[in-house]
Amino acid sequence: MTTKTLYNKTGRYICGASMPAETKQIQTWLSCTKHNKAFVSKEEKETVERMILNEVKAQTAYPLFYPKAEAPWWQKITAMF
Amino acid sequence: MSRNFTPDKILIDQLLLNDTEAFEELYHRHCYPLYNYCNEKLNSPADARAIVRDIFIGLWEKRQTLPVDFSVSLYLYQEVRKAVVLCVNQKLEENKDLLSIQTQIIPGFAVVNLQQAKQPVRKSSSEIQYINSLTPGRVHKNHWWNYNPTGITKKAIKHMLQRAFNLL
Repeated sequence: MTTKTLYNKTGRYICGASMPAETKQIQTWLSCTKHNKAFVSKEEKETVERMILNEVKAQTAYPLFYPKAEAPWWQKITAMF
Repeated sequence: MSRNFTPDKILIDQLLLNDTEAFEELYHRHCYPLYNYCNEKLNSPADARAIVRDIFIGLWEKRQTLPVDFSVSLYLYQEVRKAVVLCVNQKLEENKDLLSIQTQIIPGFAVVNLQQAKQPVRKSSSEIQYINSLTPGRVHKNHWWNYNPTGITKKAIKHMLQRAFNLL
């Protein structure tokens, strides 16, 4: 398959004008998940999560409009022990 | 990474009340699998990040108009698939990363590679042994003749049949 064919196929799929065989091919490709054995450490995962969350926060500005409620004083004290 | 055991449905209900903690909990639950999926499909961490970011921004912005029977997993599943196809199409339109598309994405559309999607996921013997060690007796319970979703015992069935015959 050439890049041009793929471009036409995906374009038709997005517009909902693709042939049933093309739809099936694209949907099968989307469903085909190789079992990824590559180990990713917890720190790496957290870094990625933090990066994306920061971008979401920056774009939606939800911490500004809906700030988190501050923990009551007794919870702060119990957290110390 | 999940921080509590609240079901997704309750978190979605809390989202309607602009609960940012519920949103972040949902985010931590689903973010990395989505990112990993996009990265595997597109071989581009930057695109994967952008897709995940846009999906969660969309979820936050649509929070007030979510339907009653809204399933967050289904929503994310549909959105991520749509976004991956859109991203591939956009890259091809802009003639961007053509080499990586030719070498890494297009081979995925070959029949041999697509057949993998139709094959059932096979667990390795070590994984099966581990699962069986967690639930002793599982090996025997998996037979169809042991299928008993209601939990009625053989003794109870015999007793009920006897009573039915007596009534006849």
